[in-house]
Amino acid sequence: MVNLTIDDKQVTAPKTATIYEAAKLNGINIPILCHDNKLKPFGACRMCLVEVEQMKGRQIPACTTPVTEGMIILTSTPDIVKARKMVLELLLLNHPIDCPVCDKGGDCDLQNLTYEYKVSANRFTDEKFHHEIDYNNPLIERDMNRCVLCGKCARICDEIVSFGALTFIDRGIETKIGCEFEGALNCEFCGSCVSVCPVGSLLARPFKFKSRFWALTKQKTVCGYCGTGCNLTLGVKDNKVLTTIYDDNQGFHKGQLCVRGRFGYQFINSDKRLAKPLIRRGNSLVESSWDEALELVAGRLKSGNVAALATPRLANEEIVLFKKLMELSGSKDYDHSAGYAHSALTEGFAKSLGATASPSTILDIQKSDLLLVVKTDAYETHPVVGFEINMAVKNKGVKLYILSDKRGKLARLPDAKTLLHTPGNEIALINAVAKTILDEKLAGASAGSVEGFVELEKGLSAFTPELVSAQCGLTADEIKQLARAYAAAEKPLIIFPVGLAYPGHNAEMASALANLAILTGKLGVEGSGILCMSEKNNSQGAVDMGFYPEAGAKNAIQILDGCASGAVKTLFVAGENPLVSYPDQTRVRNALEKVDFLVVSDLFLTETAAMADVVLPACSFAEKEGTFTAIDRRVQHFKPAIQKIGQSRSDFEIFSTLITLLGGRAPVSPAAVFAEIAAGVPGYESMNYATLGETGQFAKVAIKPVFNSVSLTASKAESGKMALVTGSALYHCGTLSQYGEGPMHVCPEGYLEISRTDAANMKVGNDDLLTVTSASGSAKLKARVSPRMPVGVVFSPYHFSDSSVNQFWSGAAVTWVTLAK
Amino acid sequence: MSDAVAQQIEEQEPEVDLSLANSVIDKYIDLPGNLMPVLQGVQDEYGYIPRVAADLIAERLNVYPSQIYGVLTFYAQFHLKPRGRFIIRVCVGTACHVQGAPRIVETFFDKLGIGHAETTPDLRYTFEKVACLGACGMAPLAMVNDSTYGSMTVQKVAEIVDDYNQRPLK
Repeated sequence: MVNLTIDDKQVTAPKTATIYEAAKLNGINIPILCHDNKLKPFGACRMCLVEVEQMKGRQIPACTTPVTEGMIILTSTPDIVKARKMVLELLLLNHPIDCPVCDKGGDCDLQNLTYEYKVSANRFTDEKFHHEIDYNNPLIERDMNRCVLCGKCARICDEIVSFGALTFIDRGIETKIGCEFEGALNCEFCGSCVSVCPVGSLLARPFKFKSRFWALTKQKTVCGYCGTGCNLTLGVKDNKVLTTIYDDNQGFHKGQLCVRGRFGYQFINSDKRLAKPLIRRGNSLVESSWDEALELVAGRLKSGNVAALATPRLANEEIVLFKKLMELSGSKDYDHSAGYAHSALTEGFAKSLGATASPSTILDIQKSDLLLVVKTDAYETHPVVGFEINMAVKNKGVKLYILSDKRGKLARLPDAKTLLHTPGNEIALINAVAKTILDEKLAGASAGSVEGFVELEKGLSAFTPELVSAQCGLTADEIKQLARAYAAAEKPLIIFPVGLAYPGHNAEMASALANLAILTGKLGVEGSGILCMSEKNNSQGAVDMGFYPEAGAKNAIQILDGCASGAVKTLFVAGENPLVSYPDQTRVRNALEKVDFLVVSDLFLTETAAMADVVLPACSFAEKEGTFTAIDRRVQHFKPAIQKIGQSRSDFEIFSTLITLLGGRAPVSPAAVFAEIAAGVPGYESMNYATLGETGQFAKVAIKPVFNSVSLTASKAESGKMALVTGSALYHCGTLSQYGEGPMHVCPEGYLEISRTDAANMKVGNDDLLTVTSASGSAKLKARVSPRMPVGVVFSPYHFSDSSVNQFWSGAAVTWVTLAK
Repeated sequence: MSDAVAQQIEEQEPEVDLSLANSVIDKYIDLPGNLMPVLQGVQDEYGYIPRVAADLIAERLNVYPSQIYGVLTFYAQFHLKPRGRFIIRVCVGTACHVQGAPRIVETFFDKLGIGHAETTPDLRYTFEKVACLGACGMAPLAMVNDSTYGSMTVQKVAEIVDDYNQRPLK
């Protein structure tokens, strides 16, 4: 810490702070346009000029000047105020004064500073710019006439998003921000540039002319898409969520969001939301009262042979109630995420670590010195974790190794090493890395004493790098180098995504990876370990609440088979859409058709809901209270941001009423249920809504490492066929994002990514329709020719109701398909 | 530059043989800070930086395409449109100006049918007015590629253009 004087006030600041940061820390506000606390200092706008006595009263930028011991700083002398006024005059020379029609009005740094410094007239005159406004994409409007060239958009796109869509073009007075060859913006549309723009140059088009900024109510909440657990601020007016508002102090991610979080909120107020319960009469679903619908459901639940599938988007409190409801119905058959998407935690980690959660957190990424990421899809499934990886690699020089069946954005990071292997060979590859660590005596000193070591040594004997490399399309050296780097790292962290589209990321993979982490003996060291990224906003919570079958009970697939065979008479589906998201559509459809009575609670009349006997209109996360548990077991409390839409009810209310109807005693409030959770769920002890606060709390994970030798070989390549791997698209999460206009604007339908070579051989171009056929079915998909796909491998995301992959994907990690034009 | 203009340029662009760009990239690929030499080398090959070459450089050097465009537009040395086989530069600096450079420039405009910083459709000539070529003793001065023509007159403009009209384009 250093001591300095700012505006006659004695203050202290960290050695690494700039004058701007030191002032801010001590409650002194220095005006600035080009600064964001996530970005490196830039010094472009000259608004933050201050005087430092030791520098002979020269005016220097506070944002780029580091503090030194004994500095005496004045932040607003008459001279400085004069200089700032002139900076504003010069900026306003070219900046159009179109504030009445500018969406940024009220939230505009330039407008606010002009007001604060009373710049009511301009001593200079010049022409305004006449740049064409970029309306080429539906999400981000670029009006370079309003730009003040602070460079924040270009810097955030490089430093954090690592996409680099925007840059400074030309020089001198001609300088502007733009894309290559001055074309249209064509990027990830995460909107980071919009969030940091200090003026109205970059605007969210979905919010254009919807509301003045000051008329919005700002509601803090937790994002309802993936499991990262990002915090959101919703801009609400007239019970409508109109936008998301950037708050650079919010969450571990400091307000940084992805395309889904920022632009995917429209599902909340969608016209397609169900407003009333529906009951099947003959062939159609007709509106009914809640009483009638719930009585009917309660009657069925009482009559036994009940099973349940829930979406891990429900709050912890709701999942607990759903479990209670199932118990009252005499059923132990309940599951989520098709059963396999949580097996990495519930089976893999349970065996290897003695816990059903990851020992590491997202915060460890920045503290690590080597990241081993399984599949580049980690960026697509959890984009904000992807940003953390970008920052770790680019700013902190963290080494990055990727095991993947295709290239991806992570692979383009500086010095990233990608072991591009043939699909389905992840576990063999991980085992070969473990084998090398053993053979070259790189294991930690304590490894030998861990339970299961002897079995592991034996189990790994067949996985020599030489054998595995041939099978994976790599060289033995590549595997050995990875093993050496991993073993040598002080704080190696393994990251892997799991989810409906990743059946290969299962219990075996979790154990194989855990073996690696245990072998080097660095599990438990801050910054190292293993992080399993489960898919949905509360996937980890669903596991923590135990919403998966105990031994002997039916899992998701067995439940569906039970529906088909008649063993399950009533199926209660809360929020899941298995017809689109579970593998093998034929099997799912058959089950749902056969089952005697199907109850679906959902926001929308999904494909699954359309088959139901009773549909209960549920409400979104923005209309209810509860807690979500993120991938790293950060438990966060969220409150309603708007009133419930139509007659919709929260799943909490639905389950409570049903519990009462079944003769049980329903808890009075989510808080009461959370008190039960705190009392009963390991790691949640002593938590309550008050202690969770705005930042949430980590549920502790107590681990007991055990080696669990696994071996799983890839399905044999079928000659003349292509390997189809399924996965997530960056713009989507589950099937919910289909109701978010933003994601649908930029990625409206399913597609098949194919390598340039294969495309050239088949004479296929972008958007050509391809018929994909596998052993289990076939469908038509648009081709997307991509440099990231290896020859012989095709990729398709799973989110889409139209052209859904489960028509030809039966749940294998790798599906062998033929393509035809 | 609007999309329409960009498209026009693309249409003007002749078929680009990327093997030339690839061999330039091969030469510098392992060199730190290789963007400038690669861009200069590629411009030497084609006379300008074709869009497809810029995209190729972005992909192979793992640099954002936008960043490459930023560099290309920052430095005056890079050209984004095809340039003429013969680059005619006429000095309009102080010494040349008083010796009658404006008339020389006008005469070139008439003879070539193009203005400042423009290229003839047959890609034979690109004409540029420049501030000073550093040979004021020879004012008014013109240069065609690396050849210097001092004490320019209106008649000499005609002779030079006639001469270069005879020369092969390749």
